[in-house]
Amino acid sequence: MIPASLTPEEREALAAEYVLGTLEAREAQAVAAALDSDAALAEAVAEWEARLAPLIALAPPEAPPPGLWDRIAAALDPTPTRAPAPAKRPWWAGLRDPWRMGAIGGTALAAGLAAFILLRPEPEPRLMTVLLSERDQPAWLVEADGGGLRLASVNPRPAPEGRALQLWALPQGATAPTSLGLIPAEGRINVAPTTIRPSPGMLIEITVEPPGGSPIGRPTGPILFIGRLSPAAGT
Amino acid sequence: MDAAADLTPLLSAVAGGDRIALRAIYERQSTRLFGVANAILRDRDAAADALQDAFLRIAHRAHQFDASRGAPEAWLAAIVRYAALDMARARGREIPSDDPALGDQPVEPEALERVSADAEGRRLRNCLATLEERNRRGIVLAFVHGLSHAQIAAKMELPLGTVKAWIRRGLLRLRECLT
Repeated sequence: MIPASLTPEEREALAAEYVLGTLEAREAQAVAAALDSDAALAEAVAEWEARLAPLIALAPPEAPPPGLWDRIAAALDPTPTRAPAPAKRPWWAGLRDPWRMGAIGGTALAAGLAAFILLRPEPEPRLMTVLLSERDQPAWLVEADGGGLRLASVNPRPAPEGRALQLWALPQGATAPTSLGLIPAEGRINVAPTTIRPSPGMLIEITVEPPGGSPIGRPTGPILFIGRLSPAAGT
Repeated sequence: MDAAADLTPLLSAVAGGDRIALRAIYERQSTRLFGVANAILRDRDAAADALQDAFLRIAHRAHQFDASRGAPEAWLAAIVRYAALDMARARGREIPSDDPALGDQPVEPEALERVSADAEGRRLRNCLATLEERNRRGIVLAFVHGLSHAQIAAKMELPLGTVKAWIRRGLLRLRECLT
């Protein structure tokens, strides 16, 4: 609430200091909340914004961290905005829910986990994703490493009886995934750079396949986990 | 390129829910706007969070932008400043303010050369030049670097009440000068 007892001069000073940024949190919130209903105050604030706007040029421009737009897009819209769009019916059609869960949840979670997992400083933001279980629990960590890719189980969980878990990557713009191999029982796998070069936006998924892997070089079973590589925050 | 002519239709598209237009604004403006947030927060992670908040606000409030009342760049930057200031306040403004590059140099009128050279920028620069140096410096530290009265007082080694009064007086003189 802006006190009704304020003189016009005090209201003018309040508007000026709101725009300048020196009000305390409570005062600033009160002014912001009053702007919708108090047209005179809103007018005074707009005038101060216009007066001081040229000072904005004193802030040196600086490039934001890579991946920030993806975070904004994910926060704006819980559905994927940059799904790869091959002309034909995609092989993951009908699997929207795990896709969404993994890609968006994984990105958000990756930002949180990155701080704990990435102990070594990296000159470039490291590409990573966390694949989530159907209960949104972290299940697998996928990281770019040494030019290739490394997968590690966070919550080890065996493949279904008599089946194998196969790891796949789908670079952005590609129409068919590349097999990265079967996941051994100990839940860790390193993929050489000759097999795949990690790139931002690359989809990573784990499917259930016959023993020995998919016979056709493409996923045949259901996707258990999926996520999208993005630069880890804070590096 | 006339950036204003470019941004205004993009903002109308954003008001209609167009995400591609929002992304186009991000691509054109994010370096400038991230600089605005980082000048206030001096912490790239926090500045990224502030810029994210700001873009959510831009998406939701694009319909409030009125091109007859101001330039789109100024509107965008104001939203980023308020988002960054909110974050600075939420952190108790416990933001390093002893950065040697941060306003220990007096803000001479010549230092304001980077202020935009258009008509409004020139008028503001001329009016700032008429203020006492300490008033000018207080206004720039607050507006550009998000310093609170207490931080400015500590930096200038002056009593808090004095700084508040000077800044307020400086603002009112600025308004008279610009009228």
